[in-house]
Amino acid sequence: MIDNPIIFYSASIFIILFALLSLFAKNVVYSLLSSIVVFFFGALFFYVLGSEYNAIIQAAIYGFAVPILIGLSIMFGGGKSNNRTKRTLSWYLPLFAGIFILAFIYLILMSFVIVPDTFNISGSFQVNAFDTIRTFARALFVDYVWAFELVSLLLTIVIAGLGMLRGTKHRGLRNSRGGEK
Amino acid sequence: MEITMYHYLFIGLLLFLIGLLGSTLVKNVIKVLISIEIMLLGVNINFITFAAFCDNINFEGYIISLFYVGLGAVELAVALYLFYLMYQKKESDCIERFNEL
Repeated sequence: MIDNPIIFYSASIFIILFALLSLFAKNVVYSLLSSIVVFFFGALFFYVLGSEYNAIIQAAIYGFAVPILIGLSIMFGGGKSNNRTKRTLSWYLPLFAGIFILAFIYLILMSFVIVPDTFNISGSFQVNAFDTIRTFARALFVDYVWAFELVSLLLTIVIAGLGMLRGTKHRGLRNSRGGEK
Repeated sequence: MEITMYHYLFIGLLLFLIGLLGSTLVKNVIKVLISIEIMLLGVNINFITFAAFCDNINFEGYIISLFYVGLGAVELAVALYLFYLMYQKKESDCIERFNEL
């Protein structure tokens, strides 16, 4: 666990600000971008708390997969993106990325300056990571194997259900077109 | 200044409250879904905080958090598909218009 007040307070301020921004931004695309930042800061919290595995899963699923899903649904559905949105996005995205990267570089440099021993944890870190993965494997495949199998079954049912919903919808459309003829 | 367990719990609580506020006040369906995910993130932070500070043997909070991430992604996928279907019917993303199946 990394016990660094600078990282904690900075990440806390950022995560709260971006969470509020994701709710109260007028444009849905801005909400989505802010929520990506929130999810990445959540992964940072997990990492700081010593759970590297959860941090990777959080960053992979909520940082990449979920925003892609939401972005696709905005494209196909609700987000009425007009020219103004596209124009604003063209400078909003680089600005956001720049601030994000600069803030991280600043935080890391400040941490090295103020608490030099914070990142000097290579020896204990490897042992801790190995222990964490072993604990995860034992928990998933021995202690919580029924819960694991139930979640897998649920995922399979979701995929099959989505396919059936899609099939039903297409059949309904075809029937309605046939009725019109 | 030392960072204690209560600092992390407070951040989790704040995120949960922000998500709760958003899911009750905001009218846009996409924003409501994002709010629910933020609530889940707050809950996950609490689980991992308890696992890191109170449970040094089994790390059960980490495992529960993993299940939450999986279920949250599934819930979001289903909700987005339903939203897509409803949007095709209603031509609107306001949650107040989605009052019938």
